[in-house]
Amino acid sequence: MRRPASARDGHPAARAHGESRSPGHYDHLAPLFAEMAALAGDDPLRAELRERLVTGHLPVAQHIARRFANRGEPQEDLVQVATLGLINAVDRFQPDRGVDFLSFAVPTIMGEVRRHFRDTGWSVRVPRRLKELHLSINAATSELSQRLGRAPTPSELASHLELSLEEVYQGLEATNAYRSASLDDLLVADDDSMSLGDAIGEMDTELEQVEYRESLQPLLAKLPERERTVLVLRFFGNMTQTQIAERVGVSQMHVSRILARTLAELRQELRDAD
Amino acid sequence: MVGARLSIPEPSAGPDSRVSARTSTVELRIEARPDQLSVVRAVAGDIAMRQDFDLDAIADLRMAVDEACAELIGVAAPDAPLRCRFHSVPREIRVVAEVLSRDATPPRNDTFGWRVLTALVDDASTGSAPAGADPGGHLVRIELVKRPAREVDG
Repeated sequence: MRRPASARDGHPAARAHGESRSPGHYDHLAPLFAEMAALAGDDPLRAELRERLVTGHLPVAQHIARRFANRGEPQEDLVQVATLGLINAVDRFQPDRGVDFLSFAVPTIMGEVRRHFRDTGWSVRVPRRLKELHLSINAATSELSQRLGRAPTPSELASHLELSLEEVYQGLEATNAYRSASLDDLLVADDDSMSLGDAIGEMDTELEQVEYRESLQPLLAKLPERERTVLVLRFFGNMTQTQIAERVGVSQMHVSRILARTLAELRQELRDAD
Repeated sequence: MVGARLSIPEPSAGPDSRVSARTSTVELRIEARPDQLSVVRAVAGDIAMRQDFDLDAIADLRMAVDEACAELIGVAAPDAPLRCRFHSVPREIRVVAEVLSRDATPPRNDTFGWRVLTALVDDASTGSAPAGADPGGHLVRIELVKRPAREVDG
């Protein structure tokens, strides 16, 4: 599954394809750091090298994310956070210090994941059983969505997980108490690798039909890119939450939370602007 | 324009036998205040869940009801309650939200909020009708129809 460095692979949500390898497997990447450090800050080659370094080291991030598995956070979120830690490590690493990259990166990535555990969580106290239920439902939702090409129903989740419908209902209700706002916020910072901005252009004509576009446009522009993209794809691009989740690389429940929160904020601001 | 558009349920639409999807009507009457929206959202989500709608449709309906009721709360006359009726038959939930307003104008159809509504549900319409002499005013309403994405064979 190794592909040449591309924008897609550089995305924090890049799927965990590669198995983690022994440190020796990354030796060929080491010279790239020196090469990158020698370039001027605005050299276009820099971005390319950075991307190759992040992509090449992705298995390290995935490996660390797996070490934190089964602690109550969705695995895909952990991989995203670990990848973010990896990107930070690539950006901050100074090859002239005489320390090899992995010795520097591993603690950086672990720190990012630990911070995630500290920062995110449940907005109300939810019994452990429900948290686990929420996790299995989240995982089953991704799997069934892939298979069905649409979001599953509660009865499909129940059959798949061999749970009663009432249990699935409880798990779905618990989902409404879950917040991952701090994770969302961590991931939105100049994520230029997503090139999702392209999607917005296509929707411009759709946007023009909205009467409030003069007041709406600046509000949309103010939103973090991920929020804006999810919102525009849903309301102007006619995509379902499941399709958006696939495209942006997060779970359907995550898209649902982003939409609900962003919509409430926009409504408030539009009202205030009136 | 307050019309009798309640459709007769069709028993032939055979839902998954494990699911208790059936015809039901739930009516909520709440204070027309934004902090009450969570109640309407929760009821909408619960009904859609128990009708075995797919997760996208459940989330969509929650958001649509939130949007519609927020819109009506904005035009409600002082102390007027918001009424919200959920009529569900297999594979369809119809929501009628209604509030007493001093203004006869139904919510506009060229706003961002309306755009959101129409993207979230299969059908959205507005209406307004004069209320009775006491207390006067107009009953302004938003009606939504949501169906799950699932194919009929299930």
